[in-house]
Amino acid sequence: MSDFWPEIAPARRSAMALLIIDMQIDFCAPGGWVDQLGEDVSNTRAMIAPIQRVLAAARVAGITVIHTREGHKPDLSDLPANKQWRTRVHGLGIGDMGATGRILVRGEPGWQIVPELAPIDGELIIDKPGKSSFYATDLEEQLQQRGIDRLVIVGVTSDCCVQSTFRDGFERGLECVVLQDCTAAVETANHAAAMDILKAYGGRWGGVSDIAGFTAMLERADA
Amino acid sequence: MPDTFPTIAANPYAWPFDGQWNGGDTALLLLGFQKSAVADLTAQNELAVAVSLADLARGLGIAVLASQRGLEALVSELAMYRSEAVQHRGDNAFFGTQLEANLRRRGIRNLLIAGLPTDGLVHATQRTANDMGFECLLVSDASKATSPARHTAQLRMTTFGNGLFGAVADSAAILAALAISGNLHHA
Repeated sequence: MSDFWPEIAPARRSAMALLIIDMQIDFCAPGGWVDQLGEDVSNTRAMIAPIQRVLAAARVAGITVIHTREGHKPDLSDLPANKQWRTRVHGLGIGDMGATGRILVRGEPGWQIVPELAPIDGELIIDKPGKSSFYATDLEEQLQQRGIDRLVIVGVTSDCCVQSTFRDGFERGLECVVLQDCTAAVETANHAAAMDILKAYGGRWGGVSDIAGFTAMLERADA
Repeated sequence: MPDTFPTIAANPYAWPFDGQWNGGDTALLLLGFQKSAVADLTAQNELAVAVSLADLARGLGIAVLASQRGLEALVSELAMYRSEAVQHRGDNAFFGTQLEANLRRRGIRNLLIAGLPTDGLVHATQRTANDMGFECLLVSDASKATSPARHTAQLRMTTFGNGLFGAVADSAAILAALAISGNLHHA
C-alpha cells in the first residue's frame, strides 16, 4: 500500500498505534532537568510542534495513542544504583530535589508530559523505569489486547529511549517506524547517527519515515 | 580472590561506578562471534582481542558467557564456550533467553561486553543489560560495527550524560588496571 511500513501486507488503522516517548518537562522544557544540567533543550523542545501535528492526525484517524513517561517510584525502589550515581555525578541525580521537584520521580512537576501534548481520555499512558518502553512495563500486553502490531514511534531522545524501544519492538515481532522529523537528541550528531543506525541493514529492525509519509499512510489505510 | 580489582580507566568514568568488581560479581559477555559475522565485518583482530580477554577472564575467575545467534556455531577459537552458549534468535541476547536469570543466579553485577556488530547485537544487548541495572563496560577494541562511524556513534551514545548505557574502555585499559604488561592485539 505504501513504502511506509517495512512489511508490505495491508495495514489497518485498528492495528496501529502512535507511541509518543517521554515528551516530559524534564527532557523538553526550559527549567526541566536537562536544562538544569546545563544542556541544550532546543533540539528536544523543537519536537513539540511537529508531534502536535502527528498527534492531531492520529486522533482524527482514530488510531490508538500511547504516551510514555520515564520515571521512578517515590521510594526509588526501581532505580538502579548506577543510574542514580551517574546522574548525580553529572550534576543532578534522579530522585534528588531540583527546580522541577524530585528529578524523574512519578507525580513530580518535571516528570509531567508537556502541556502541549497532554494525553486525553482514552489514550494509554505507560510509566517506564528504563530506556526501553518495553522494560518492566505492560506495553506488550496492552498492544496484544488491542490487536496492535504496528508502532509509529516519535519523541525523545532518538539515541536513547527511542532507539531502545525501536530495537525491542523488533525483537517482539512488531512493525516499527520512526518519524525522523518527530524525534531528536540533545546532541545533533547523536541524532544523525541514531537515524543512520536505525536505517541499517535495509530496515532490518524497522523503518524510518516522516510526517508526510505518516499522514499519507493514514489516508490510505483501511479502518 | 581479592575483594575487588582496581578500577579501569574508562570513559566517562573509572569503571565500575562503585569501584567493586571481582571474579565473583563480574561476567564477560562475548556476543555473536560466529564465522559469518567475523568474515562479513573482517573482525579477525577484534576476535583475537576477545579470545585473549576470555583467557584472561577465566584466569581471574570471571564467568565467560558466549552468545550464539541462530544455528551457526561459534568460531572455533571459542569452542570451549559452546556448551554453555546463550542461544538466541534475534539481535538481543536477553530476549527469550535465560541470560538474565543465569547472571542473577551467579550474583553477577558487572558485565564486560564485546561482540559483533557494535551497532546490532552488542548495543541492543547492552541497552537491555543497562535497563536491568547491570554495570556495563563495552570493550571497544573487541567489538566492531558495520562501519567505523557507527562504532564511534554507538560509543558516544553509551558515554553521553556520564554514561547513559555504561562506560567504554579498550583492552589495554583493562590490562593496565590489572597491572598486566603487554597487550591483547595479535595483529
